[in-house]
Amino acid sequence: MSLTNTALLKVENLGVRFLMKSNMLLGKKTYLYAVDDVSFEIQRGETLAIVGESGSGKTTAALAAARLVKAYTGKITLDNTDMLQIQKEKLRQARTKVQFIFQDPYSSLNPRLRAEEIVKEPLNSLTNFSSQKKQTLVNDLFAAVGLRPEQQRLFPHQFSGGQRQRIGIARALATQPELIICDEPVSALDVAVQAQILNLLRELQSKFELTYLFISHDLGVVQHMCDQIAVMYMGKIVEYADRLSLFNSPLHPYTSALLSAIPSVDQKRRENTKRILIPGDPPDPINPPKGCRFANRCPVAKDICFQKEPKLQNTKDNHRVACHLVDETAVSPLKHLL
Amino acid sequence: MTDPLLSVKNLRIELNTRDGVAPVIDDFSFDLFPGEAISFVGESGCGKSMTALGIMGLLPEGVGKIASGSINFAGEDLSSAEQKRMRNIRGNEISMIFQEPMTSLNPVYTIGEQIAEVLRAHQGLSKQASWTKAIELLDAVRIPNPQARISDYPFQMSGGQRQRVMIAIALACEPKILIADEPTTALDVTVQAQIFDLLNDLRKQTGTAIILITHDMGAVAEMAERMIVMYAGRKVEEGPVQQVIDNAGHPYTQGLISCVPHILEKLTAKRQMLQEVPGIVPSLRDFGKDQCLFASRCQYVSEKCNNTRPTENKFSSSQTVACWLTESIQ
Ligand SMILES: Nc1ncnc2c1ncn2[C@@H]1O[C@H](COP(=O)(O)OP(=O)(O)OP(=O)(O)O)[C@@H](O)[C@H]1O
Ligand SMILES: Nc1ncnc2c1ncn2[C@@H]1O[C@H](COP(=O)(O)OP(=O)(O)OP(=O)(O)O)[C@@H](O)[C@H]1O
Ligand code: SF4
Ligand SMILES: [Mg+2]
Ligand SMILES: [Mg+2]
Repeated sequence: MSLTNTALLKVENLGVRFLMKSNMLLGKKTYLYAVDDVSFEIQRGETLAIVGESGSGKTTAALAAARLVKAYTGKITLDNTDMLQIQKEKLRQARTKVQFIFQDPYSSLNPRLRAEEIVKEPLNSLTNFSSQKKQTLVNDLFAAVGLRPEQQRLFPHQFSGGQRQRIGIARALATQPELIICDEPVSALDVAVQAQILNLLRELQSKFELTYLFISHDLGVVQHMCDQIAVMYMGKIVEYADRLSLFNSPLHPYTSALLSAIPSVDQKRRENTKRILIPGDPPDPINPPKGCRFANRCPVAKDICFQKEPKLQNTKDNHRVACHLVDETAVSPLKHLL
Repeated sequence: MTDPLLSVKNLRIELNTRDGVAPVIDDFSFDLFPGEAISFVGESGCGKSMTALGIMGLLPEGVGKIASGSINFAGEDLSSAEQKRMRNIRGNEISMIFQEPMTSLNPVYTIGEQIAEVLRAHQGLSKQASWTKAIELLDAVRIPNPQARISDYPFQMSGGQRQRVMIAIALACEPKILIADEPTTALDVTVQAQIFDLLNDLRKQTGTAIILITHDMGAVAEMAERMIVMYAGRKVEEGPVQQVIDNAGHPYTQGLISCVPHILEKLTAKRQMLQEVPGIVPSLRDFGKDQCLFASRCQYVSEKCNNTRPTENKFSSSQTVACWLTESIQ
């Protein structure tokens, strides 16, 4: 795989595992490999989306990339700094470059703080700015996310869901980060409010040249927001491509199934898309099968799929996929089913 | 034309709130025909669940009540039915599945015990017969290896499986109507697709009519034939699903459709900004006002909109819209 070095964030062979305590009685350590050999990179000013079903490791991968969860292996390079090597003051500086926006605008804001204090929080902990400078910044931030100055004095419960998410965005912008990790930023919002927040995120991106790592299970939203997409399944990236290739010519059977499952208002799409059924559930993540992790649900799995793990490989035009049945010709193995 | 199975007329549901009594559902009418699937869509808080609870006789006690109107089901007005009668109807004729399957299942009983219990209570089956029927039902909702899984506790199942168990329970007594309140909101799309297929199959096999409550237009398009768009406790638009999607009459419906980034046949490089519907839903306090409740967010607002509640007008052959704008078009 060729990873270029103009990327703002570059994650190589990342692994995150959780110790499953219940099995310690047996004297043997059992791990859940939530993120397993994951590599991706995001170019400055671009958006990489991570999609995949619940529990596939999206949040964990993002948290590890920001060093908020410990990676047991791998390399993370942010703006040419090796994030796993640096400590203390350097780490604090590097951290100002990465901020989070979370799914739940209700629980991610401290209910006892006024909106302005919430937005100021990262400035207090990560910078040494004078209080006057901080206040000026907060004023600008409120304007940037479309909140009125007098709303600075209000508490979270006095805002609507969409407004609360705006506070979360203002807080994320406070330290002038370069990378913002958006973890399901609109999932808890009504569609009308969703549109406002998505538009705001794109507007801020071009205004401040922001780079986004965008996590969502809503592929409509992802398709609208991203430049590149990584599809995760059980801790692994199974497909990685640019927006148009991924949506118009998916290669991994899981991706095809995922896309075919999205209900659409487009009558043509409904008529032309054959639903790829993937029965059953993903296997136990503590005991992953030795072959392809999708094999037990895959409609075209062959013997080799149960024997050997497929590696993420380039096909053409940087469209990468981990499937034994896809080669450089980049033909979907489900072609005959579609 | 056949008679409707369920006919709701001028329904008004009132809630006691801190600011007084508010009509959470206001002059709401619709018909549901046998074997049909209709959908209620609208923003959070617009009263979709309240309508469902009103039909089921499950309005929060002491808080909500049916103030006027009628709910005609097979010749009987449910709005004035006794609690005892409603319990009977709920078990046998109209069932409901809720958004969060975990909270609706009892964690301390196996799923088999929970399904069998419903069958014994409502169909008077013996212990043995109810257990056999429960296995059949699990099989019908495509739980693999039902003989073994029937002894599982809810926590041993995935979210999608729990929702399928809820559907099994709802279908245990072969209801004439199934009300599904956001049945897949908490699930992955691949699981959602399975649940929708399942509901569609069951509908074909048993002729059960379905009311699907959702905020996802795609889901509506996939599942329902007709849809009712609700706003602040009122019906603002009704019509055949694809017709409404392609040619929405009410400004709110138009906004609801164009503010969502839809998955389309073919994705192009071009990305447009999403249409925003500015502002927020009115608070419950204002639900009863004699005006269009969407007026403060509407780009076409005129004076009349602020002074008089719009009447329901025919927008096209089978589509109705409650908006003064469409009246002036006609
Ligand atoms: N702190 C933790 N301890 C143990 N296991 C964890 C922990 N955090 C996550 N996991 C497990 O790691 C896996 C990946 O979880 P993660 O939250 O990253 O998934 P996700 O893709 O973000 O899912 P969702 O879409 O539901 O948010 C899951 O199996 C989860 O149960
Ligand atoms: N138990 C209750 N007591 C008081 N008010 C309630 C109660 N339940 C609901 N409400 C209010 O009634 C209104 C309609 O609620 P309802 O649950 O029907 O909305 P909905 O359309 O189903 O929304 P959602 O999409 O969020 O489920 C809301 O304003 C809600 O706050
Ligand atoms: S009645 Fe008026 S305010 Fe209401 S939706 Fe129609 S045009 Fe807009
Ligand atoms: Mg997550
Ligand atoms: Mg509801």
